[in-house]
Amino acid sequence: MAIQELDSQVAGGGVGALLNGAGQKIRRALSIVLRTNSGRIGFGIILVYLVLALFGSLLAPHSPTAFTSEDLEIRLTGPSVDHLLGTDKFGRDVLSRVMAGARSIIWISVVGTALGIALGTTMGMTAGYLGGKTDQLIMRAIDILLAFPGLLLALLVINIGAQRISDPICINDICIRLWPSKESWLVILTIGIAFMPAVSRVIRSATLAVKPLEFVQSARLRGESAFYIIFREILPNIIPVVAVEASIRVSFALLLTASLGFLGLGVQPPTPDWGLMVSEARANLASAPWAALAPALAMGSLVVGVNLLADGIRQSVRLPLSRGETQ
Amino acid sequence: MSQSPRPEGPLLEVDRLAVTFYTPRGTVRAVRDASLEIGRGEVLGLVGESGCGKSTVAFALMGYLPGTAQVDGTLRFAGKDIAHLTPSELRELRGNRMAMVYQDPATSLNPAMRVGPQIEEVLREHLALDTREATERTAELFDSVGLADPTAIGRRYPHELSGGMQQRVMIAMALACDPDLLIMDEPTTGLDVTTEATILDLVVDLKQRVNAGILFVSHNLGVIARVADRVIVMYAGQTVEQAPVREIFKNPRHPYTAGLLSCMPQPPGEGEATTRLRRIAGAVYSAEERAAETCLFAPRCPMAQDTCRSAAPDMAEAGANHLSRCFYRDDVRPEIWGEPEPRAAGSSNGTEQILDAQNLQRLYGKERRKYILFGPPVRPPVRALNDVGFRVDRGRTLGIVGESGSGKTTLARAVVGLVAPDKGEIRLLDSALAGEVEQRTSEERAALRMVFQNPTASLNPKLPIRHTIIRSLRRFAGLDRRQSRERAAELLRAVGLDPSYLDRPPGELSGGEKQRAALAGAFAANPDVIVADEAVSSLDVSVQAQVLNLLEERQRELGTSYIFITHDLGVVRYISDDILVLYAGHVAEYGPAKSVLDPPSHPYTEALLSAAPVPDPDAAPTRIRLPGAVPTMREAFRGCFFAGRCPRKIGPICDETPPPARTGPDSPDHVIYCHIPVDELAAMQREAQALEAK
Repeated sequence: MAIQELDSQVAGGGVGALLNGAGQKIRRALSIVLRTNSGRIGFGIILVYLVLALFGSLLAPHSPTAFTSEDLEIRLTGPSVDHLLGTDKFGRDVLSRVMAGARSIIWISVVGTALGIALGTTMGMTAGYLGGKTDQLIMRAIDILLAFPGLLLALLVINIGAQRISDPICINDICIRLWPSKESWLVILTIGIAFMPAVSRVIRSATLAVKPLEFVQSARLRGESAFYIIFREILPNIIPVVAVEASIRVSFALLLTASLGFLGLGVQPPTPDWGLMVSEARANLASAPWAALAPALAMGSLVVGVNLLADGIRQSVRLPLSRGETQ
Repeated sequence: MSQSPRPEGPLLEVDRLAVTFYTPRGTVRAVRDASLEIGRGEVLGLVGESGCGKSTVAFALMGYLPGTAQVDGTLRFAGKDIAHLTPSELRELRGNRMAMVYQDPATSLNPAMRVGPQIEEVLREHLALDTREATERTAELFDSVGLADPTAIGRRYPHELSGGMQQRVMIAMALACDPDLLIMDEPTTGLDVTTEATILDLVVDLKQRVNAGILFVSHNLGVIARVADRVIVMYAGQTVEQAPVREIFKNPRHPYTAGLLSCMPQPPGEGEATTRLRRIAGAVYSAEERAAETCLFAPRCPMAQDTCRSAAPDMAEAGANHLSRCFYRDDVRPEIWGEPEPRAAGSSNGTEQILDAQNLQRLYGKERRKYILFGPPVRPPVRALNDVGFRVDRGRTLGIVGESGSGKTTLARAVVGLVAPDKGEIRLLDSALAGEVEQRTSEERAALRMVFQNPTASLNPKLPIRHTIIRSLRRFAGLDRRQSRERAAELLRAVGLDPSYLDRPPGELSGGEKQRAALAGAFAANPDVIVADEAVSSLDVSVQAQVLNLLEERQRELGTSYIFITHDLGVVRYISDDILVLYAGHVAEYGPAKSVLDPPSHPYTEALLSAAPVPDPDAAPTRIRLPGAVPTMREAFRGCFFAGRCPRKIGPICDETPPPARTGPDSPDHVIYCHIPVDELAAMQREAQALEAK
């Protein structure tokens, strides 16, 4: 009976079953996220910013980048009905710029984190599983990387790859960047490289806890390749560690992205970018604090949201089995 | 056994105890209905399979349950209802008058503190002794639990003590406040049989010296038979039978008790096991189920009637001092679990040699020098295996026994290639095997499969059951996806599991089911030899019987050979055709099972046999005890490897000359490494047996 079911699954319902499986996984992930209060609040905050990241520039009441000579008349005015968060030194609407700016920072930090996690997980699992000389080699290289402060490493990467192609494509004075520019990719790469060492340490130790377990030995006895054992047998068991690590890392990535933007090393003007906005408004901090405060607060609340979510995930996931638990 | 005068009534009375845990995942009824009483100077054994609520009862008595637990029923201590005590009285009661010894002494002691101060702390806190008094009293306590040189022991850290010594320290700590009630929760489960025997001696001795009641919780009927005066059997959170120890073992009045007794492999030394183990089908009634108005054992009971399924029995008189929770308690006899089936002979027909290992040697750790690269060597590597050899014929089973640290597991891992031997050779049929599994051919890997001790970790918890089985089939049998799926279903049926299990995650299976799924994975490669490393040790007796019977059936059908590693001599005797006794990486004795277990035996084998708990309260306590633990061998022994602990040591020759290999009288294949000639050994051992029988 079960065999017949299987047959139909193999023959016809493959794709449907796959989709169904994916849906189930998403539902399970959501239930983990929403199990705790901090997870729920964090998820709520992040949802707001996700909507902004996707539709921010469309929802914005004014153009986030373009400004006319009339706009220049109202530069650095305080909050009003027309400009709820005031205007910046070019008379652009701060609210619109904050809304539109969500996209680049979220995009860059999420993709950057994903890259860092992917690199770090691969390195960490390889070092942990293979052990011996390979482990020594990878971990010493990582020690060297860890010796650089994160921002310094970022500056290094950006300067090495610093061929900046800045200007976005503008049609009729409206410059909307649908795809991140080249320098965003550079920032993403930076984040990836900056995060890789710390992530691989965490993943290596998680791998070491799983490696002596019998199912790994039993895969060795079947003659499975190291690649297969690492990704098929060990990885599913350390996914909770990876998830917790990723969720914590995203907030660091946000801060790093903003710092780079502030230093002028990230996306280039006139693209709305929170770090860049704070940097530009710095000169007028005394007369027009809103222009700096608004992006800073947006940044702060997003980081709080991410941290709450990370906390929620950490509380709800069951970290992988250790020797004692399996007994 | 010992008379238990109870002038003032029982020390502790528990009436209809029920413990329910309310968890986010549902309600767990760990204890449904448990009643018991313990008098002073009495050992009450509490026995049952895992998940029956034994430990929960112990923890409930100590008040150690978490806040999610609801405890119903009455507890009376020395006639006073505990519910009416003030919090401070309750603390006094549970701190001073009751004490508990846990299963794992290694985690119960503070690893960062010397053991002496850990007890002194208790004495100062509870008895307000000053420092000097506390130190003296601690030494007294260590002395009373049989720790030689008490002051020196007190200055050691827990990791410097062996498991048995740690457990003695825990018992000393429990005795520190001179408690009225001592609760011991599986105190010997993690220990070797030899150490277990000495701890059990201590418990029996304490019973006579200390005027306290002892509640002894264990899953091992042999251990219970050795120490208990009365026994309570628990099933699915209910006490199902209560009687003096001899009654329980000779005249069980509940089908569950009778079943437990009949599925235990008989202890060594009672001739050859000629009948198959009987088994209790099914699993323990789930603690998550609300108790139905039926007998909870009815689904597994061979004598269940309609009455059992329509009404819940209560504990009722089944003889003098004998209670049973069964409607048909007078009809209970061992035969309800089936007439003894003779074991089909022919498991030892083959003479084709499959596996041959010679001179295996394995060192662990690198040699260290004083100045890293230069200087004299310090800390030489550990010699885990030293010149070990054996052979396995088709369709036969080789049992490997020894205490922990004797090299059993290293040997098993060397056979399958998880560790490479430093010296020596393993031959499969006619070809020599590479040391590392990665260097062996696929056929060689398929021929040698392994089943591990811990069923929970041997299946990947994140992948469905089918994963291991199908993966083995595809790699070894070269089947495609669809064929392997069909074959996997057949394999599961062959190990007694429904094919629907293929898609279930391991977390939904019980320990026995997981172990059977792991076996299905091992059989998938159609192996010549399966190496089973303590494969039934973590299973309950009823499940263990199922797995042993299964192994035997498959051997008869397929001619598979087994290398069966275990510390349980009952299991070894039941399943093995040949036995290899290992001690500190050396072969002590090797030969056909019967020759090894009967005199003449190596003194080490004799000591192991003597220590094995026997599920018979009338069995005379045996005399040979091995103190200490297997030494960690860093240098070759000058004399006999066993000389340091040997109860039959004959003189300086044992310390100076390695023992010669002597051939046993019954079989040319029987080898004993001992200085004592075999006929003298046989005479000594027969004499000792005769003495014990009297």
